Amino acid sequence: MTRSLRSLFFVGDCAAGALTAMATTLAVRLLVSPPFDMVAAMMLGMAVGTLVHLVLGLVLSPLLGMFELMVPGMFIGMYGGMMFGMRDSMQDTPLPTALWVGAIFGVVVVLGVEFWNGQLRKRSVAEGGGR
Amino acid sequence: MRLREKWDRASRTYDLITFAEDLRQADGKRRLFSLAKGRTLVASVGTGNDIKFLPPGLDVLAIDISQEMVEKARPRAQRYEGRIELRVMDAQHLELPDESFDTAITACTFCSVPDPVRGLREIHRVLEPAGRLLMFEHVRSEIPMIGLMLDALTYLTRWIGPDLNRDTTANVRHANFRIVREENVYFDIVRAIEAVKASGVD
Repeated sequence: MTRSLRSLFFVGDCAAGALTAMATTLAVRLLVSPPFDMVAAMMLGMAVGTLVHLVLGLVLSPLLGMFELMVPGMFIGMYGGMMFGMRDSMQDTPLPTALWVGAIFGVVVVLGVEFWNGQLRKRSVAEGGGR
Repeated sequence: MRLREKWDRASRTYDLITFAEDLRQADGKRRLFSLAKGRTLVASVGTGNDIKFLPPGLDVLAIDISQEMVEKARPRAQRYEGRIELRVMDAQHLELPDESFDTAITACTFCSVPDPVRGLREIHRVLEPAGRLLMFEHVRSEIPMIGLMLDALTYLTRWIGPDLNRDTTANVRHANFRIVREENVYFDIVRAIEAVKASGVD
């Protein structure tokens, strides 16, 4: 894979992460507002986030790869959904702010997953394989 | 739905669905398949997307359970700088003589073969003593949360295509191969596995 293609995929991964988080933000916002029970809001957010990441993963996987979307998407959908649900049950954040925070969260998760992937790949080479 | 029909149907969208993966995993496949030597069995060839990653000059028999997949693979096989024969065949029942291949290659094969150990034992049978098995497969993650997600998704994906939660490394060992090298290509999900035929039976 050429360097430019690798960069393009990286940008695509970040954009998909941001999109997943923003879509989760929006979906959770439609369902949760104060004074929603916080625990119920977190569980609902997790379920909604999971659904959002699965749908977006299905649509975007031909462009970015199934597993490359699924792993960060899962963390964004599940954890993001929980956190957004918790927030929206407690406070009324303006929607643009919530979307920005969501987008940043999505990109941060993608970067974290990228770093984690790098560690796992290095480990397999260093150990010469085997489990 | 029968296996053959499932993959005939999947052949219509397979290249589209795997478009990005084909690009992203190209380096890993090319690196792994460069180890192939001599008479080589490719199981299963699919739409022939991976033929371009084979080193030139091999004598290849490429099989797939789906006639539609084989037809799609044909133009790609014609562009290969070596010899390729394409045949419709089930990886679990190889209609091939014992010890007739130096190398066997699989790419996203044993996520789909219903009885993977049986399929791997068939490959074991047709490989020469100390023959080499090169596998580029996606497997169940050992990271618990991701592994559970793959378990859940498998209920959906097995209707249209592969299982996402196979323990292919263990299956390779059960089929009496010795693993020489394993490389994580993406997380611990997409893996390149190099194994050699161990002598004797389980």
